[in-house]
Amino acid sequence: MSFEVFRDVAQPIIAGFGITARRLAEQKVTVQYPDDRREQFPRTRWRHVLTRYDSGLERCIGCSLCAGACPARCIYVEASENTDQERYSPGERYAKRYEINMLRCIFCGYCQEACPTGAIVLRKDFELANYEREDFVYTKEMLLEPIRG
Amino acid sequence: MSELIQIGAARPKAPQPQDLTLRWSERAVEELEALKGHYPDLKSLILPALWISQREYGGHLPPEGIAEVAARLQRTYAEIEGVATFYSMYNTAHAPGRHMIEVCTCLSCHMCGAYRLADILEEKLGVKMGETTEDGVFTLHEVECLDACDRAPVIQVGPDYLDPQATLQDEGGEAKMRAWVDRLIDDLRSRPEPSSVRLADTVVQVHVRATER
Amino acid sequence: MAAVANVPLVKVSINDVEIEVPKGELIVESVKRLGLEIPIFCYHPRMKPVGMCRMCLVEVGFKQQDGSVRKMPKPQAGCTLPASEGMVVYTDTEPIHADRRGVLEFLLINHPLDCPICDRGGECPLQNNTMAYGPSTSRFIELKRHLPKAFPLSTYVTLDLERCIQCGRCVRFTEEISGDHDLAFRFRGADMQPSTFQLTDFESKFSGNVIEICPVGALTSAKYRFRARPWDLETTPSVCTVCSNGCNVWFDHRAGKFVRINGRANEAVNEEWTCDKGKFGHEHYNAADRPTQPLVRQGDGFAPTSWSGAYDPVLAAFAEGGDRVAALVGPRVSNEALFLLRRLFERAFKSARVSSNWRRTPGSGSVQGTIADVESGGPVLVFGTSLADDLPIVHLRLRKGATNAGARVVNAFSRPTEVDRFAAVSLHYRPGSELALARGLHGLLAGTGATAEAVEAETGVPADRLREAVEVLKEGGTALSSQGLYDLSDGPQIVEALAGIARATGGRSECWATGANEQGAIELGLAGEGATATLQACAEGRVKALWLVAADPFALHPDRALVERALETVEFLVVQSPVGSEALAYASVVLPTALPAEQDGTYTNCERRVQRVQPAVPPPGDGKPDWRVFSECLLRALPETPLFNPREVMEAIAAEVPAFAGCRYEALGPEGTVLGGNLLDTPDEPAMVGGQA
Repeated sequence: MSFEVFRDVAQPIIAGFGITARRLAEQKVTVQYPDDRREQFPRTRWRHVLTRYDSGLERCIGCSLCAGACPARCIYVEASENTDQERYSPGERYAKRYEINMLRCIFCGYCQEACPTGAIVLRKDFELANYEREDFVYTKEMLLEPIRG
Repeated sequence: MSELIQIGAARPKAPQPQDLTLRWSERAVEELEALKGHYPDLKSLILPALWISQREYGGHLPPEGIAEVAARLQRTYAEIEGVATFYSMYNTAHAPGRHMIEVCTCLSCHMCGAYRLADILEEKLGVKMGETTEDGVFTLHEVECLDACDRAPVIQVGPDYLDPQATLQDEGGEAKMRAWVDRLIDDLRSRPEPSSVRLADTVVQVHVRATER
Repeated sequence: MAAVANVPLVKVSINDVEIEVPKGELIVESVKRLGLEIPIFCYHPRMKPVGMCRMCLVEVGFKQQDGSVRKMPKPQAGCTLPASEGMVVYTDTEPIHADRRGVLEFLLINHPLDCPICDRGGECPLQNNTMAYGPSTSRFIELKRHLPKAFPLSTYVTLDLERCIQCGRCVRFTEEISGDHDLAFRFRGADMQPSTFQLTDFESKFSGNVIEICPVGALTSAKYRFRARPWDLETTPSVCTVCSNGCNVWFDHRAGKFVRINGRANEAVNEEWTCDKGKFGHEHYNAADRPTQPLVRQGDGFAPTSWSGAYDPVLAAFAEGGDRVAALVGPRVSNEALFLLRRLFERAFKSARVSSNWRRTPGSGSVQGTIADVESGGPVLVFGTSLADDLPIVHLRLRKGATNAGARVVNAFSRPTEVDRFAAVSLHYRPGSELALARGLHGLLAGTGATAEAVEAETGVPADRLREAVEVLKEGGTALSSQGLYDLSDGPQIVEALAGIARATGGRSECWATGANEQGAIELGLAGEGATATLQACAEGRVKALWLVAADPFALHPDRALVERALETVEFLVVQSPVGSEALAYASVVLPTALPAEQDGTYTNCERRVQRVQPAVPPPGDGKPDWRVFSECLLRALPETPLFNPREVMEAIAAEVPAFAGCRYEALGPEGTVLGGNLLDTPDEPAMVGGQA
C-alpha cells in the first residue's frame, strides 16, 4: 500500500469516522419518535382546537368568519340558536356543525386570526395521518377541547 | 301545495276593529264630530282625539284608549300609538295617581329653588320623581318649562298652575315652601276629582271652542 | 328615478363635472349618473325621502354671476335636495368626510356590534359604510343601551331593537308601499323603536320586504335565522312560482340546499318587492318527505326501481290510449313540460284527456293588459277577489296607482280586504250576490233602467255607495278579477257582466289566473275538460290510467270524496311529484321530479309574461325535471327524435302554438316577454341546438 493510497483513501475514511466518533459524545439532535417527542416551537401551527371558556361553554358562536377567511375553503359551519334548556355558548348563536377538511387545510392560521372570540386556535398536535379520506374531515366533536375538570 | 303558508301562529294579535269595546261617552263622540269639521282630514285629528280619549279613560291612555281612537279615526293602531307615545303629556306608560304634580325645573324655576321644592314634595309624599304614592293619590313628575317664569318656582296640577309665592332666596323661603306644600297636599287630598281628567277636559274644550270660532 | 318626459333639464355640477339632469331630481340619484355613490341609510329610491339618517350629506353651492361658487355654510342632505339650475355639489371633500365619520360614530354609539352573530353581517349597509367612510375606532366608552334581542314580531320577522338605527325604512314601507301601516315608531329620542301596536303580531302580507330594506340587522328573517352567512351563499336569478304574478327573485342556496328568497328588481312585474307567501313559501325545497327515486307498487308498499324500470309499466299501462287514459297537471309545471306532456298524450297515447284546470277557467282572451298598467291612474274596479291574497304584486301596483297617480279604485268583495284601505268606494256585498252586483253595476253604467235601490235589495250594498261607484267607473278603466271568481257557479255570467261594464265605460276587463303557470297552460291549450270531469270519469271507471303531474288533487280539488273515489277506482295511477303528497299512497308508480328552481324552463305569469327559470340547485336523489320525463317517454314510445333540451322545446312551442309565436329563449329579455307583444320583431337567429341550457 503506497503512501498515495493511504493519503487519498484511508486517511479521509479514518478522519470521517473520527468526526463521527467525536459527535457520539455530544448531545443528539434526533429523537426516538414516536417513543420520544420533541418540544414544539412556541408558535407552531398544527391541528385546530375549538376552545372553551372556564365555565365549560364553547367559545365558538358559529359566525362562520373562519370559513370566510379560509383561503382553502376547508371549513364548514352550520349555526343554530341556543335555548335556555340547551345552551352551548354564552350568546344567542352556536355552531351546530363545525367541520374542517384537514386534507385541504394549509395551516395558514387565518381562521384563528378571523375568530372574534378566540374559539379556534391552531395547536401543536401534528399527527394527522389516517387511512380513509373521510376520516380527514374533523367534526366539531373531534375539534372541541374536553371540559376541564 | 298545502305545505306552503301558515301565516301567523302563536303571536298575540291586535284586536279587530269590530271586536273593540268602545267606551267613549256620547258627549265625547259629539265633541269628536264637532272637531272633524275643523281639520282637513282625519289624520290631523289624532292629537285632539287622543286628548278626548285620555279624558274618557280617566286621565290615562291605555292600549284600549289608543285603539279606540284608531277605530274612530279609521287609522291603524300602530300609527296612533306612535303619536301617543311620542308626546309626554299623553299618559301611555302607566296610569297616574289622582293628582299629577308636575314640577317645572327649567332655568327660571331652577334658580328660584325648584329642586328644593321638588325635594320637599318628595319628602312629603315619600316617593321619587316619576313615582306614584302607594295610595294612588299623587304622582310626582319633573317637567320642562311651563311658560310661567313670573311665578317661579311653579308646579302644575291638572290644568292649574300653582306656586308657593316664595323663592329659595327669600327670607324664610324654604319654610314658606314647606308650609305651602303641606297645605297643597291636604287640599288636593280632599278633592276627589282626578286632576289629569280635568286637564284633558280643559284641552278638549279649548279645541272644541276653536271650532266654534 | 327615470327621467320623465316634459321635465326640463337643468345643469348641475357634481364634483366639478357638469351634467344635465331632470329638474327636481334628488341629488342622491343624480350622482349615480356619474357612477358615484353617496352613502345612505334611510333613503330608498321607491319611497319618499325623509332625511333621517344624515348619512348622505353633501356640500352644495351655487354659481355666482362672476363665475365663483358660493357654498352653503352647512352641508345638505343629498336625499332631500332636488336638483336645480346652476347647483354645484361636492360629494368627496374633507368636510364631508368628517361629517360622515361623525354621523357613523353617532350611529355606532348604540349599535351593539354583534356582527359575528348578526344575520345581516356581510351584507349590511352599516358595516359597508363604516368600512368605507367611518372612523376606525370608537371614543364611546360608556355603557350602550340595552333592549330586548330577537323579539319575534311575527312568524317571519324577528326584531332586534338594539341594532336599530332608527332610519324609518320599515315604518315608511308599511305606510307608503304595503299601505297597512302596521309598523310605527313608538316613543322618541334614543328610545324610539319601530314596532307594531303593543308588539302584537306583524300581520302585513308583505312583511318580508322590511327584512330586505332594513339597513342593519334589526329586522331579520325568522326562517333564515342563523342558517348561513352571506359569503356561504350562492345565488341564482329565479322566478317565484307560488302565485301567478311571477315575481323575480334571487334564489339563495348553500351546498345545494335552498336557503332563502330575496326580491330581484323587475320594473315590469314586482319592482323589487315580494309577498310573504313567495318569500317564505319555498321551504318545501328542503322537505324531508320529497320522493328521491322512482317507486313501483309492490303489494301494500313500494319497491325502489330505476327510471327505465318505472317507465316500462307506465308506458304499458298507457299504451291502451284514447279516452281511457288521462293526465291532470298542477299549476306549477313549466311551459316546456306542459307542451311535451300534451305531445306525449296526443302522439303516443292518442288521448286529448290532459287537463290543467282544476277549476273553470276563461279562455286565453281574458288577459289584455299588463301588471304595470294597473298603476297608470285610471279607475279600477276590483271585483270578487282579495287582491293581496290572490295577486299580491298587483295589489301593490294598484295601491301605488291609487296613492301616486290618483287612481280611483272601487273594491267589491264580500268581506273587508286590504284594498279597502285605499279604495275610493268599497262595496261589501252579501256572499253569493256577485252576479246581481255585477249586472246591477252594468245596468247603472249602461243606463238600462236599473235602479240602485233594486241592486241594494239584491246585494245588500247601500244604494249611495253604488251611485258613488258608478260615478268613479263612468270615466272608463279596468275591471279586475281573478279566476277564483270565474269558478263560482255563475262565474262565466259574472265575468261576462264585468266585460259589459268595461264595454259600457270604454275600459278593459281582466280575469287573471292565480296559479304560477295556469295562464301558460291555457295558452298552450291544456285547459281540457277540467279536473272534475276527469276525476269523475276515473271514479266511474271510464278512465283506466291516470297520470298526476305535480298535482296533489287533495289540495287542489275541493271535493275530497270525489278525489278519494277516483284515486281508489282508477286501475293505474302515476304520481309524478316533486314533493310528498297524500296522493302518493294511491300510486302505482311514483316518479320523483324537480321543483321549478331545480330545472330549466319558462313560466307564463298572469299577464302572459314568459320568464325563464334556471336550475339553481339539483333535485334530490334521482329526481328529474318534468319535461325530461316526458321527453324520455316520447323516446321510448315513438320512433321519432324527441326534443332534448328546454331550448329546443321552446322552439317547438314557438313553431306550433300561435300564442307563443316568436317566443325563443334568445328573445326573452331580462324582464321576460309578454306574449303577442313585440316578439315577432326580434331578428331571426339560427336555432342553437344543444346550446347552453
